[in-house]
Amino acid sequence: MEEQDILAYVKAAAPALGLTLDTQRAAAVAQHFGRTLAMARLLEQAALAPEHELAEIYRAAPFPAGEVSA
Amino acid sequence: MNTTTILHAIASGERSAREVCDEALAHIEASDDAINAFTETTAQRARAEADAVDARRARGEALPPLAGLPYAVKNLFDIEGLTTLAGSKINQGLPAAREDAVLVQRLQAAGAVLVGALNMDEYAYGFTTENTHYGATRNPHDTTRIAGGSSGGSGAAVAARQVPLALGSDTNGSIRVPASVCGTWGLKPTFGRLSRRGTYPFVHSLDHLGPLADSVQGLALAYDAMQGPDALDPGCHALRVQPAAPRLEHGVEGLRIGVLGGYFRDFASAPARAAADLAARTLGARAEVLWPDAALARAAAFIVTASEGGSLHLEDLRRRPQDFEPLSVDRFLSGLLQPTDWYLRAQRFRRAYRDQVNALFQDWDVLIAPSTPVSAPAIGSEWIEINGTQHPCRPAMGLLTQPISFAGCPVAAAPLWPEGTGGMPIGVQLIAAPWNEALCLRAARVLEQTGTARMEQ
Repeated sequence: MEEQDILAYVKAAAPALGLTLDTQRAAAVAQHFGRTLAMARLLEQAALAPEHELAEIYRAAPFPAGEVSA
Repeated sequence: MNTTTILHAIASGERSAREVCDEALAHIEASDDAINAFTETTAQRARAEADAVDARRARGEALPPLAGLPYAVKNLFDIEGLTTLAGSKINQGLPAAREDAVLVQRLQAAGAVLVGALNMDEYAYGFTTENTHYGATRNPHDTTRIAGGSSGGSGAAVAARQVPLALGSDTNGSIRVPASVCGTWGLKPTFGRLSRRGTYPFVHSLDHLGPLADSVQGLALAYDAMQGPDALDPGCHALRVQPAAPRLEHGVEGLRIGVLGGYFRDFASAPARAAADLAARTLGARAEVLWPDAALARAAAFIVTASEGGSLHLEDLRRRPQDFEPLSVDRFLSGLLQPTDWYLRAQRFRRAYRDQVNALFQDWDVLIAPSTPVSAPAIGSEWIEINGTQHPCRPAMGLLTQPISFAGCPVAAAPLWPEGTGGMPIGVQLIAAPWNEALCLRAARVLEQTGTARMEQ
């Protein structure tokens, strides 16, 4: 996605959320969006099967029934 | 005086809680112009709490575990009678909190004395505490440098010995980063361990709370005092207290300890790697270990943070974006515009990632990694160099902490002082499987006892 395409996306999507971005702000937001876009592309490498559901209200692990040995 | 000597002096009657409280308030008054750690002090309340401790002692009552210990909290914790700023200008218009945050209530019950509220990045979105509204918090070891963030006031206040204990929050590294660059101890507990009720949220899916302290004992005592179930916090999964302090002296013999390689070395400067290596040698680490999908986890944490953080502030971002922190408002706005697929993919990844991380801990008890890629950069830095590559400073300070908190694992942060930093500290993360904070703290205690990690004046 080219820089001008990112800027166009930012300008087009902002009104859907009721956001008003002037030219300078739109450019700054587009810069951040571009960084996150690169991370989203990276995350697409994760092999997710259809059965991989969303994390629930997150729990790191079930709370243990007994005392930990530490 | 540190936590241990303060608690002993008050318990023995050598010093009164009021005397210790007044000393802390005086030190804050004398030192905070240079540090800018505090946004408010609570002298009247502090003296009342200290006097209550002294009255209990005078009556011959047994004192609670933190009796008379001064502490302060990041200003996203509710303090009865004060407005919870969360580092923002916008929140100045909110009413004062009607009661203390749960963790403040629990520390009060344990006898601790609240002396004030601490500076932070606005709405916790940052790793540097360069707060435009309230001024940057300065690193006590070099006031031209950042104190880290977003709990920068907490790190700086402990490092400057203004208080022996402070509370912070950690969504992507906001306890561990200031602990690293200020040279203090810190604990980010398991996600879901401590109640977050009565604190201003940043990212519901990722927010943790925890202590920064001048010693491992201080961390453990505060952590134990703050434990307990809370059915009213949907993110609090702990069902009972699991005290860590009684296990502090168990050592690390027999523990399977490794040091993280791959991503955690690639994004660490030579001094940061040296700090992790020294901790690894001291603790008898057996091998280099690869953490699963660290880069993907960091990407997912970044996306979840931006989406949830932005969504939380949509109304204000529509009406008054000019009142936000200039250094982070564009990130909030960008997060609001992220496609739904990015967020959903990140949350689906998180579930699979948890299984991989928990499987890793079938073979290991404690894993070691640097807390930050570099020591504290100068205030205002836009870029940092890591192994010859330039990275944007403000997000990159969390490169090594984000993958760990995204899994929800507990981490003790230990302050080390490697060569090549101009005398500045770099912290080391001691990471364990979920619900095993005691293992992290046992390893931290060994680093403290051997002098490998320490607070410096």
